[in-house]
Amino acid sequence: MALETHPDRGGPGTPLLQAKTLTKHFPLGGGAVVRAVDGVDFAVMKGETLGVVGESGCGKSTTARVVMQLIPQDKGEMLFDGEIVGGKDLTLKEYRRQAQMVFQDSYASLNPRLTIEDSIAFGPTVHGVSKAAAILRARDLLQRVGLDPARFAARYPHELSGGQRQRVNIARALALGPRLVILDEAVSALDKSVEAQVLNLLADLREEFGLTYIFISHDLNVVRFISDRVMVMYLGEVVEIGPVEELYNDPRHPYTKALLSAMPSMDPDNRTMEAPLTGDPPNPINPPEGCRFHPRCPQAQTVCSKVKPALVVTASEDGTRRAACHMEIPGSGHSRAPSLEAAA
Amino acid sequence: MTAIIESAAPIVVPPLAKSPGYWTGVWRRFKKDKVAVGAGLVVLAIILMAVFADYVAPADPTRSSMLRRLRPIGTPGYPLGADELGRDMLSRLIHGARLSLFMGVVPVFIAFVFGSVIGVAAGFFGGKFNTITMRTVDVFYAFPSVLLAIALSGALGAGITNSLLSLTIVFIPPIARIAESVTTQVRSMDYVEAARASGANALTIIRVHVLGNVLGPIFVYATSLISVSMILASGLSFLGLGTKPPTPEWGLMLNTLRTAIYVQPWVAALPGAAIFITSISFNLLSDGLRSAMDVKG
Repeated sequence: MALETHPDRGGPGTPLLQAKTLTKHFPLGGGAVVRAVDGVDFAVMKGETLGVVGESGCGKSTTARVVMQLIPQDKGEMLFDGEIVGGKDLTLKEYRRQAQMVFQDSYASLNPRLTIEDSIAFGPTVHGVSKAAAILRARDLLQRVGLDPARFAARYPHELSGGQRQRVNIARALALGPRLVILDEAVSALDKSVEAQVLNLLADLREEFGLTYIFISHDLNVVRFISDRVMVMYLGEVVEIGPVEELYNDPRHPYTKALLSAMPSMDPDNRTMEAPLTGDPPNPINPPEGCRFHPRCPQAQTVCSKVKPALVVTASEDGTRRAACHMEIPGSGHSRAPSLEAAA
Repeated sequence: MTAIIESAAPIVVPPLAKSPGYWTGVWRRFKKDKVAVGAGLVVLAIILMAVFADYVAPADPTRSSMLRRLRPIGTPGYPLGADELGRDMLSRLIHGARLSLFMGVVPVFIAFVFGSVIGVAAGFFGGKFNTITMRTVDVFYAFPSVLLAIALSGALGAGITNSLLSLTIVFIPPIARIAESVTTQVRSMDYVEAARASGANALTIIRVHVLGNVLGPIFVYATSLISVSMILASGLSFLGLGTKPPTPEWGLMLNTLRTAIYVQPWVAALPGAAIFITSISFNLLSDGLRSAMDVKG
């Protein structure tokens, strides 16, 4: 059997992946629950790169694992090119051919007992490709990620550097010919020069294979470089989503503003003197009532601690930008909210 | 996206020079460990001695002589003395190695197979399955191994097969424990997640990604049990639950020579010394293997 190409079934207008109220709670002992991902809605269009940013513990990686179906969601569903993931039109196994993931730890994500060509060839053999064909494909992919197969194919992971291993992981993810690649902090563990090389490689591969990326990172500069759109997460929820330049130049949610102002400036005259965020660190076990950001928000008012703001269209004519903040909801009760008349 | 189109002609994969693998490194490190290599040679010598006992032993191990009972070490014709029935000690020790080694290796090997299956399954599938399996295993683990072996042998009755069976049951729980804990570690590695993400089923993941990483450590642990098994088997024979006379077996010999301890203490101690040397060699060998395998990559 050969791995045939995946047809574009829904057409260019259908999002490649649509997540609807994805929820994942981890129960702790004694009735406590970690709300790692709490009703996350987003869509990834074909051929775009969606960056996902947020502090540690905001649910970025859990979201990635749920999207990859490594852990099942508690609630919500996902549509892949218009079909329900795990439904009768798109089985989980078939979905996993079309969606792949690159992990942060390049060493832990390669089996130390397998040569790297065997690691890359494993996925295709699972899907019925003969071993010989899978090995040839692995060598071809090694070439494409910039590793000479004659030198590297028969090596073991510990003989490679971090950057080389991450290239192998990318090749492994591409071995099944996926349409969606989830990059979970894929370049975060690499040093800056190697990181830049791998980012360029990812950008090239996106063109070459027509890939769609979900790019998860805590590094705002990297996300800006590679993403078309950015999703900002806070305590398991999406607080803002929008095209990268608009969002970076004109953040609407106070949390996004705080995140962006925490970026170190390259200009010494422009340096930030005080911490952009104060207050208690977020606790996903007992998230605050109302808007989850209100205890740390400089603009918080009474309404923020009572009512949970919906993710509404904001600051754009075409509806590409959304934010979950009472200051963006007309008539929300926040003094800075736009008036209902202005909105009408 | 490129597709793989398989032509009718068989695909030829050009072979590449394999870089030295994990086991090459293990062997290189093991070779440097003088103690472990020495222990390995002793184990090899004992195994060869047991296999070729008929050719190595100077005399018939069961031929007794009432006139030559309890001769000291160095008696002409009896290099290691004679036992309480005048049988040649050296020949009996050489022949006894067969059964002692058999009782050391076979129960541990069978337990290695079953314990690994139980432990790897429990560790890999986790959750309730793990809890139920491992708590059941813990029930057996709670008994001291000597006590459990004696109780089982006593219940099953004397004889080699029964002591083999009881020793196997004794060794399954500790091996399953180790297998479970190693598998739990491996299961959480990203390469197992990546394998799941590529759509592989549990059996394929266990075969390709888990076994290769857990069998080594489990095997090393199991080799350390060989000495325990030998000692337990000797103990069972000593208590009359294992081999029956006149079959030479180190534990049984220790038992029957017990009465002669004041007459010929050195001769009476010989089977004990044989057990000691063999078990400590197995232990040192497994320690050496452990440290040789304990290096990342």
